Amino acid sequence: MSEVILQASHINKSFHDPVTIPVLNDVSMSVNKGEFVSVVGRSGCGKSTLLYVLSTMDTDYEGQLWIDQQLVTNQKEKQLARIRNEKIGFVFQFHYLLNEFSVLRNVMLPGLKLNRYSEQETEHRAMERLKMLHIDELALKNANQLSGGQKQRVAIARALINDPAIIMGDEPTGNLDKKNGQLVFDIFRELSLQYQQTLLIVTHDPEFAGNTNRIIEMEDGRIIRQ
Amino acid sequence: MNYKLIFSISFSLMKARWRQTLVAAVGVTFSITMFIALLSFMTGLNGLLDGLILNRTPHVRIYNDIKPSKYQPVNLSGEYKQSHNFIKSVKSASGRQEIYNSAAILDMLRKDNRVTGVAPKIIAPVFFNAGTIDITGVINGIDVQSESTLFHFNDYIITGKPIDLKNVPNSIILGKGVAEKLLADPGDVVQVTTSQGDIMPLKVVGYFQSGLQDFDKVQCYTSINTAQKLLGKPNNYLTDIQVKLTDLNMAPAVAKEYGALFQADTEDIQTANSQFETGSFIRTLISYSVGITLLIVAGFGIYNILNMMIYEKMDAIAIMKATGFCGSDVNRIFIVIALSIGLFGGVAGLFLGFGVSVIIDQIPFRTAALPTITTFPVNYNPAYYFIGAIFSLVTTYFAGYFPARKASKVDPVVIIRGK
Repeated sequence: MSEVILQASHINKSFHDPVTIPVLNDVSMSVNKGEFVSVVGRSGCGKSTLLYVLSTMDTDYEGQLWIDQQLVTNQKEKQLARIRNEKIGFVFQFHYLLNEFSVLRNVMLPGLKLNRYSEQETEHRAMERLKMLHIDELALKNANQLSGGQKQRVAIARALINDPAIIMGDEPTGNLDKKNGQLVFDIFRELSLQYQQTLLIVTHDPEFAGNTNRIIEMEDGRIIRQ
Repeated sequence: MNYKLIFSISFSLMKARWRQTLVAAVGVTFSITMFIALLSFMTGLNGLLDGLILNRTPHVRIYNDIKPSKYQPVNLSGEYKQSHNFIKSVKSASGRQEIYNSAAILDMLRKDNRVTGVAPKIIAPVFFNAGTIDITGVINGIDVQSESTLFHFNDYIITGKPIDLKNVPNSIILGKGVAEKLLADPGDVVQVTTSQGDIMPLKVVGYFQSGLQDFDKVQCYTSINTAQKLLGKPNNYLTDIQVKLTDLNMAPAVAKEYGALFQADTEDIQTANSQFETGSFIRTLISYSVGITLLIVAGFGIYNILNMMIYEKMDAIAIMKATGFCGSDVNRIFIVIALSIGLFGGVAGLFLGFGVSVIIDQIPFRTAALPTITTFPVNYNPAYYFIGAIFSLVTTYFAGYFPARKASKVDPVVIIRGK
């Protein structure tokens, strides 16, 4: 059995405003190294909520969560930020690039925050990732001069900068047209096959999910199939 | 902690909103400029007005007042000790106005280390004879050198040299008002009659103008020796000893002590001029409150701009937090923005404030009351620049504190899921 990157056990979560509604009900799951997993389910089934719990950004849950063999439940905000910085790469539906910075700088930011490599090295590593995604010629442009597909590829490069243990995506192709969506999917696929990158992607695109290694299907806050 | 990164993000955010940032900084600059200029000018003016009184007034004055004796004979008599004595029509005693044993007192005062200087003085009322009329006046016999060093006597001589009082025998410096009445020019001789009826000619060597009209119509100055000669007194005769202390605030206590020690009347500067401190205090208070109000207004400007920036940059804050920046990093980024606005605005304000002070210092300001003043007085005390700098940083820090705290509390999940 290969190494477990992400493990969640008996996760429960409710929204309390205005009335208590359970959104996650005893969810247990794990992702192994190198797996390309997709989470599918109908709108409102709790798949995004699960992703944010797994991402450590949402700490209001019951149950336990391990990332890269490390228990993250009940850790301090600072430690969680550090874990996100080091272990998790994010790709959201929206690109969330900072318009104040060049593409290169956007990609470098989490790396600079991690402060493991010097600025020159971080820059070099950022360029490598941009080259890998064939957008290195855009490096010095500002984020707002890019097309939607290009922006999402920059976001993927940013997610990769610290060699994360896992990449989490929340509908990363949701805002893209068919062609760009396919492009992004191909990138994920390539990362998974060539670099053994672990990926956990929430999507409602059955075609996207169908091409992944494993599909976790959710309904009403439960995992019904995995 | 990677401060370089925090600074680079802060500056990028400011660069992206440079217009608003500039407006905020200009707000700080303006308020610091006004603060510095106002305080420098106000305290300069305070110094000038206080100087009008303080320069000329001894901190402690030792003299013998004309007054009825405290001890009437009947009260001293043992026989009537138990009685209640009524004494009518008590008159002031014709006691001597001179200070007893003045040489010893002067010696002792000069050795007292609380005392910075001592100036002996003789005050004698006289008549100036001009043709058929007599003009009343007061002759002050002074030691020119100590009077100049302690009470800026030099500054008020508008014609002639003060040292001539010492060098020219039987010389006098007339008050401007007296001189006008006597039509006496320097070099002329005026006839002076003392209250005892002795007449003495004195040579005019200069004019004196204090700025107080009533004062200048009466007061004249001669050397101590001339005054003693005029009154026919020996050369240890003094009516006043003026003392300047190292610390003005000690004056009332020291005055009391000397009064008991030398068995003479004493008067301290606080009693003599109780109103001047109040005026200075109020003016300083007003300057500070205006300055601080301006800074607080500038602080609100910074607060607004940072708040706006945070609403605009919600996404950026969310993604930074998602990718590993913790709340305190985000907090620092916005505090750095606020403090940079404060620092650059403040430094510019200090320079501009200095500039404005220099300009005020050049504006002509002539008044008959103040012969030595030609331009508006400005106090270039570095303390105000220091206070200004501290204030600008403190207000901008607080202006940045709340928005920064808000930014640090942004929940990335709410922002990212909201899209």
